[in-house]
Order: sequence, then structure tokens, then C-alpha cells
Amino acid sequence: MIIVDDLCKEFERTVMSKEDEAQTKRLAKSHKKGTLKQKKESFYAVNHVSFQVPQGEILGILGPNGAGKTTLLRMLGALMQPTCGSVAIEDENGNRITDPVQYKKSIGYLSGNTKLYHRMSTREMLYMLAEIYEIDKQTADERIENIAKVLDMHSFMDNRIEKLSTGQTQRASIARCLIHEPDIYIFDEPTLGLDILSADAIVNFMKSQKEAGKTVLYSTHYLEEAQFLCDRVLMIYQGKIVKEGSPEAIMEECGVGNLRDAFHHVMEEVDTL
Amino acid sequence: MNLKRMTALFKRELTDILRDKKTLIMMLVVPIIIYPLLIVGMTLLMSSIMSSQAEKTYLIAFENDTDLEKQIGDIIEDNEEKIGYKLEIVKENDCQGSLENGTIDAFVRVEENDKVLLCYLSAKDRSSTAVSALNDAFELYREELTKEKIEDAGLDAEVMLNPIRYEQEDYSTTEESIGNLIGSMMPFLIVTVILLGAIYPAIDVTAGEKERGTLETLLTLPITNFEMIMSKFLAVSCIACVSAVLNVFSMGGAMAFLVSSSLSSAANMNIEIHYETFIPGILFTIVVMMFFALLVTAVCMCTCVFAKNFKEANNYVTPVMLIFMFGSYAAMIPDLELTAQTAAIPIVNVALLVEGLFQFHYNYGLFAIVLFSNVAYSLLAIMILGKIYNSEAVLFSEGLSSVKLFTRRSDMKEKQMPGFGDVVLLLCIVLLLIFYVGTFAQLKFGFFGVAVQQLIILLCPLVYAWYMKADKTQLFSIQIIKPLQLAGSVMIGIATFVGALIIGALLMPVFPESAEGLTQLDDMVVNQPIYLLILVVAIMPAIGEELLFRGFVMGTLKKRCRPIVTIVVTTLIFAAYHMSLIKMFTIGIVGLGLTLVTYKTGSIAASMCVHFLNNLLSVLITKYPTQIQRVLPILFKDRLSVSDMLLLAAVVLICAAVGWMLIGGKKKEKQKR
Repeated sequence: MIIVDDLCKEFERTVMSKEDEAQTKRLAKSHKKGTLKQKKESFYAVNHVSFQVPQGEILGILGPNGAGKTTLLRMLGALMQPTCGSVAIEDENGNRITDPVQYKKSIGYLSGNTKLYHRMSTREMLYMLAEIYEIDKQTADERIENIAKVLDMHSFMDNRIEKLSTGQTQRASIARCLIHEPDIYIFDEPTLGLDILSADAIVNFMKSQKEAGKTVLYSTHYLEEAQFLCDRVLMIYQGKIVKEGSPEAIMEECGVGNLRDAFHHVMEEVDTL
Repeated sequence: MNLKRMTALFKRELTDILRDKKTLIMMLVVPIIIYPLLIVGMTLLMSSIMSSQAEKTYLIAFENDTDLEKQIGDIIEDNEEKIGYKLEIVKENDCQGSLENGTIDAFVRVEENDKVLLCYLSAKDRSSTAVSALNDAFELYREELTKEKIEDAGLDAEVMLNPIRYEQEDYSTTEESIGNLIGSMMPFLIVTVILLGAIYPAIDVTAGEKERGTLETLLTLPITNFEMIMSKFLAVSCIACVSAVLNVFSMGGAMAFLVSSSLSSAANMNIEIHYETFIPGILFTIVVMMFFALLVTAVCMCTCVFAKNFKEANNYVTPVMLIFMFGSYAAMIPDLELTAQTAAIPIVNVALLVEGLFQFHYNYGLFAIVLFSNVAYSLLAIMILGKIYNSEAVLFSEGLSSVKLFTRRSDMKEKQMPGFGDVVLLLCIVLLLIFYVGTFAQLKFGFFGVAVQQLIILLCPLVYAWYMKADKTQLFSIQIIKPLQLAGSVMIGIATFVGALIIGALLMPVFPESAEGLTQLDDMVVNQPIYLLILVVAIMPAIGEELLFRGFVMGTLKKRCRPIVTIVVTTLIFAAYHMSLIKMFTIGIVGLGLTLVTYKTGSIAASMCVHFLNNLLSVLITKYPTQIQRVLPILFKDRLSVSDMLLLAAVVLICAAVGWMLIGGKKKEKQKR
């Protein structure tokens, strides 16, 4: 189980102050050149978020661009340190794991930004990862053989990753997350930009992992996909959770027939507030 | 740190770098093929051009029909060896025209007043060669004429022409002369090859990794920041070392080939060069190079990590490269030698050391300082690198930036506190200013230069703190001190001063000068009037150094570290700052006292006062030695006996205890309230 407690992340962004706006107008009128002072202000990309995800659940994280999905997932993957709050994994015995190294051993993290090492072959990469995850040689052999079979990668296991096609690279990326058999998968827009076959392969993979009792957290813009795949969804807007529940419950609450309409409904509701 | 994980990461980084074509070309092809090819090829080409020039026949004409033509013709015929070029005299009617259209290479014109002109075209290489050969022929003719004239006058021509005979005699061995030549070029070459070897891998593992998008993948792995940085750092250092060693061998080989071929062809002399005499120098050079490669790698990585891609990193690293190359010119500055001071200056120390090694100066003490300082600077750079790798602003190009100075002043928050990055940056600024401005001022203005140096130390932290809008009261521990606490501080000051005396005496057998560090001042300052001495030697350091070390450095550390770390690090920085391995221990002890009193009392006035008294004592000892000797004879003893030591140790204990009570007692009372 993954436990998220009061999580915040502070960022800086450049904004224009009111004086500067006035200054811009003056300058535009007089056609003179001048310097503008840009102000930096801090804001919360993730703003006091708390939730829990039990084992065997697929949680979808939905929200418009810039809502804080990626930042949230990065903190859940321990890639980023939260400004405040905490993320912890609770194992079967009820022990909470917060040490980043131990924590990362239980997480399989995949996003558009986690590219693979181009100059290595998939097999070399997997053996290297096995060493880093401290998996012994024999287990590593078995797992790699098994992963290659499941993901049908035998034909390109020894080719350099830079030579692989998009679909093959995506499979190799999934292989990267599988090598240490984590309990929790965190996927940031995993099906983005993939063709139907590759996207379906990933969706099926997530389903199979859920059936195997693993937890999956994933963000997506494909609401149809989320509707039939997720046990529960979180809708995020400006760093805050604005809706939480099963897709069915949310649709019912909004009085609409699909998740896409529900999403629009929720966003409009938030905007009018 | 987990060794197994780090080995795996290190292996991965190394494989990744070695599979990059750019690095491979830089590392292998350039040194092994291009350099020897260039050096040997160019030499062969040059010598073949020279010999073909010697074989050519140059055409000369005489404009006027004079006796001169025959005379010079004879000279040319008889002295072809001496002149070194083949000259042939031809008949031409329009000499100037022929010269311009290239039928002849030079001609001789005799003017009415018997002045002879050697006419040529300086824009043509052929013509220039011809005229210089012709010039030689005329010189020989002139000598012949002079001889004839002298003999006509009935004098001995030999004696008249050479009334004194002298020659130069060189007592340097051939190896020493060659070593001197190589020594002045080698540092530049070494710095360049290490840079070339380090830069590409450094960019590849930092900015390259960001560009390829594997950095985030790396961050998902169960590894600590330290393991990640060290594996990258070690991999790049390895590559830099290997490529540097390869480079040096291939260049050394090519140069040896050059020297031996030029010696055998040019001089026709039987000079035997004992190349084996250079072996120790070369071995030491390789050792120094390895340590230097660490520094270069760390600095390059620190720079490149800020870049988002390869191209940007290339731009960032170019100024760094120039600074390194500039530093290596130190070896070419005459009279700049490796001393205890220069041995601590990065880059320059390596340049001077390598130069010295090839001139057969082996000073192991300085050697150790150079290696040590290189390791120290590399560690510093790695620490900074660690800091940068912790900064999500740099890694993900978003978030909060960590070095305060790098944000715009208008965006800075009021009353903020500096970070570690600020401390390192400030110390670097002060060091550089002292080294360049301070040394210059000292050379130029003598004693007042010392004042300039103190002023730099005083102003830097103040200006830095003002610029970043720091909370000055808190940062510099500005607080009124209670008289009792001040008394306690002075007691602790006395305890540490005496403690330093004991340490100095104990270290005497190891470092003979260690005892002097505390009480003796430079000869330069002795002759100054007392009020100036007190101002520059006692008051200014007491304010400036305290503001810098007990103020800025300790103020920053206090906010972020545990007390023990703060006190130890501040003391170490203070000791290291005096740039003397010998005085380090004694100054370290005094520094510890200064740090403790400010930490305990929370007021910088305490350490300023103690520092002032300490330096005042030095001034008084230098200025009025006899009077002080009467009061405190123990300071003037060459050797301390065991009973002296015990007495001093007792003084230390009593003063420390009393001082501690005076300071601590007050504090407890405060807490009770």
C-alpha cells in the first residue's frame, strides 16, 4: 500500500507585476526600449494532497496540462523531494518504508522522460539493472529470460537500443520496470503517442499486474481508457484533488454517461468556484 | 555507500562513454595517430623543404660592369660550403625588370659613390633566400678586403681582427637543456590533453545524459546521490587519465624522435642523450597528471551539469578551458617557482611542478602539497557537484535555485540566509582576489599591500551579504556581549594560544618553522610605526577575518549543520586559509578557540576581541622584543623543557575551565529566566 500524506511541492515561476504591465503599455505607446523586471514567485505545483492506494488497485490520475500530475508522480517515485508532507510504502507487516533507496526498490517508474541507455543492448541493460537492484546472477538470468518471453523481445534483445523501433523501445522500457519485480508501478502517461497495438499492450500489461495483486498508479489524458481500466480516479486541478472516487461513482454524481463528460463537468464546477 | 551498486554504475558509465565515437576519437585516434603524424610529418616536410632549397640554384645579376662581379664570383666559387646555397651569376640587361618578372632572384647595383646595393624582393621567399646568401658572400669579401688592407699597412691581420678571443661554454648537460625546454612546454601540453580527454566524457555524463533523457531513468534507480556522482566522476577521471597518459607518451615519443633527428642532422656532433634520466620525472608527471585529472574532471562536470544539452555544455565549458590553459602558462613565467604558497594555487601548482620535474628539481614536500591541494580542490568540486545534483532546479529545469547569488537581486528575499554554495563561492572569490589583487598590491606597495589584502577580506563578506540581502545581524552574529562573557572569551583565547605554543613546540622536530608561525611577523612590517602595525596587523584582521570566518562561514553553517560540524569545518577552513601546511596546526588551535567563543557567546565581538589580542601580542613581540622577554620569557625559548610544557598545559586547563565557566554560567542564567 502506498500512503500519501499532506504532500506539497513548491516551484518558482516568472510572472509580470502590475507595474510592469503598465510599463509595457507605456513603452508600447512611446516606442522606446526599456528593461522589464520579471518577478519570480513561488507556487504550489502540488498542494496538500493526501490519499492511499491499497494493493491490487489501479488508480488513474487525471487533470489538464500543468495540473501537477507529473510532479505528483515524480514525488511518488521518489525522484523529487516534497517541500512538505510525506510518501511511504506500507508492506504486508505494516512497516512503513521511507528510505529512498529501499523505497525505490519497490517502485517501477515509467514516464516519457525515462529514456533508455542508447548505447547498450536490452540484455546488457537488464543485467546492469539487476546488479544495481542487487539481484543475484541466477535469479537475474531466469527473470530476464522470462521477461523476454512475456514481452516477446527475443528478436531484439541483443540489438543496441538506439536501433530499436518505438514499439520495441516501449517494450524494453517496460522490461526495465519489471526486472526487480516491484509491488507498485507508477506510469506517467504511458500510452502517449503510441499506436493502438502498443497502447493496448501496455493497458493489458497494467491489467495483468493488477490481477497479480500489484498496485498501479498512472496518469493519462485518455479518459475512455481510464474509464474501463481504473478502479479509482483522482482528478487534479492546480495541484489539488478536486474529485476522487470510482469512475462509476463520479459519472453518477455528475449525472453523465461517460468519464469524459464527467471530467468536463468537474472542471467547469471548479472554474466557477 | 554500497560498493556493488557503485561498481555496476561505474561499469555502466564507462561502457557508455567508451561506446561514444566522439570520446573514442578524442581519446585514441588523436593521440595515437594525429599527434605523431603531425609532429613527425611536419618536421620531415620542413627538413625536406630546407634541403630542396639548399639544392636550388639562385640566379644573380650585376647591373654595372665592374671588377666587383669577378671578385664576388670568385668568392662564391671558393666558399660554396660556407654560404650554403648555390649562387650563379648571369648577364641581364634590364636587371630590375628581370627581378620583377622572376628571371633572376637578386641583383647588385653599384651607385655613383661606390655604395653597393643588394636588390631583391622581400615578398618573394626565393629572392629573400638569394639575397641573404649574397649578403654572406659580400661579408666574406669584406673580411678578405679588411685583411688585405691591414696587411698592406704592415700589421698582423689576425691580431688586429681578433684582439680578444672568447667563447661560450655551457656547463649544463644536454639532458638539462632539453629538460628546460620540455619543462616550459610540457605543462601547457598536459593541461590541454587532460582537458581534451575530460571534456567530452564530462559533457556526455552530465548534459548528454539530460539530452538523451536517461537522467530521470537513473533517478528511478535505488541508488544514493553520492553513488551516482562518484560513479560518473570516477568514470570520467579514468578516461581523462588514460587519454592523458596516452597523449604524453605519444607526444614524448614524437618529441624524442624530433630532438634526436634534429641533433643528428644539424650539428653533426656526437651528442648522446641519456633519455633514462627523464624517467623519474616522467613517472612523477604521470602521478601528478592523475591527480590533476581529478580536478579537471570535477570542474568540468560542475560546469556542464548546468547545461541542458551538448551544445550548451560546450559553450559553458569553453571559458573553463581557457582559464585552465591560462593557468598553465605559469610555467613560462621566468622566476615564478614552486614554493609553499604557489603549491596551493590550482593549475599553477601543477604547471610549476611539472616544469620543475623536467629540470630535475625533486622537492617531495612541495610535491605532497601539490597532490594534497589537488585532492582538496577536487573534493570541494565534488561537494559542489553533489549540491548541484541535489538541486531539482538543475536536474528538472524547474524548482527553486540553490546558489543565492545566481538569482536576480530584485528577486531575492529580504533577510535570507546564505547556503553552502554561497560559502564556497565567497571563499573562492576572496582567495582569487587575495591571490591576484593582494599579491600585486603587496609587490607594488609593500606594507600597504598587506592592508589592501586585509581590506579585501573585510569587504568581501560584507558586500556579498549586502548583495544577497542577508540577515546581517543573524549571519554575522552581531550582538552586544556581556563583560563576563568577554572575560571568559579572553580566557579561552589565552588557553588556545598557549595550547598552540605547546603544539608548536611538539611539532618542532617535524616542522622546524612551526613554532615561529604564532609570534613572528614578516621582516617587511618590522620597520613600520607601531600605530600602523596595530591597525593593519591587529585591528584589520580581527575585524575582517572574523567577519568572514566566524561571521559568514560559521553563520551559514550554524543554520544548517550540527554544532560539532559547524565548529570543526569553520576551524578547518580558517586554518586552510592561511595556506601553510606548517603553520596549519598552530593556527588551527587558535582558530578553534576563536570559533568556540563566538559559537558559545553568540557574539562576534568575542572572537574579534580575542583575535585582536592575539595579533597585538605578535606586534608587540616584534616591535619590543626585549621588554616582552622580560615579562613573558617563555615565548622566546628555543626549546621547551618538560616542566615548561607541564606548566603551560596547566595554564591551558585552568584558563579553559575558567573561561568556559564564565561564558557558560551566564548562558544558563539566561535560560533560567
